[in-house]
Amino acid sequence: MGKIILIVDDSSTMRKIVNRSLRQAGLEFDTVLEAGDGQEAMDLLANEKPDIILSDINMPNMDGIEFLKNKANDASIKDIPVVMVTTEGGSQDMVDQSMSLGASGCVKKPFTPDQVNEVLGPLL
Amino acid sequence: MDFAEKIVDVTKEIFGTMIMVDVTAGEPLSEHKSRFQCSLSAMVGFAGFKQGNLTLHAPDAVARGLTQDFLGMEVESINEDVEDAMGELANMLAGSLKPFISSENGKVELSLPSVVHGEEYTLTVVNKADWVIVPFTVSHGDFLVGLEIKKQ
Repeated sequence: MGKIILIVDDSSTMRKIVNRSLRQAGLEFDTVLEAGDGQEAMDLLANEKPDIILSDINMPNMDGIEFLKNKANDASIKDIPVVMVTTEGGSQDMVDQSMSLGASGCVKKPFTPDQVNEVLGPLL
Repeated sequence: MDFAEKIVDVTKEIFGTMIMVDVTAGEPLSEHKSRFQCSLSAMVGFAGFKQGNLTLHAPDAVARGLTQDFLGMEVESINEDVEDAMGELANMLAGSLKPFISSENGKVELSLPSVVHGEEYTLTVVNKADWVIVPFTVSHGDFLVGLEIKKQ
């Protein structure tokens, strides 16, 4: 069965960019799921079980931190690895909090396909 | 600190890394530019230790061209995709400059990007601010990256 990835970001541009970077990094996914915020991701995860999740931190409705907290409380999805995507100047506190809530890694924008592969590859 | 040099460095890095587009930097403008025609401006504000904004200004054709490079798809008009892409570029530029605006004396936090687009508009910083605007050239044309910091 092919691998499934869920990309969570309120920017449709970034979801496309991440998708493109994954292909350029040689990471093949049979299915790429997308969600515009943490709540959409939680709704989607009720029926889909991706192999890995890439999530922005700053999002409306439910941000990346709240998403991690909600995910951790759901036995059916708590073990799916999540990699956070943030900007170079993003809050280090939020990155640290993400890691303490179980995020498996962090990718900072701007990123190259190789940098994406470096973080995601070992998790797949 | 030479913010013009930092703007050149981060712009080249971001455009080269995320869009894979080569940009050529020009000399910083000697006069402030605040009026734009048939253009789009994407702005990210910052506050805290310093207050100000980072703005990416591009004529419509350049904004469409950069979005095409960013997304790998045809763009015929200024639409949500263009606004989102330019806002995201401004966000990354501001994020990369943030460490240089912050200091050991205090940090700054960034706002969400705002995008203005129209046939003719003027952007005015109400308070007195130090500014630097660097022009860049890509295959689609020229764009500007401006940084304004409120005078202390």
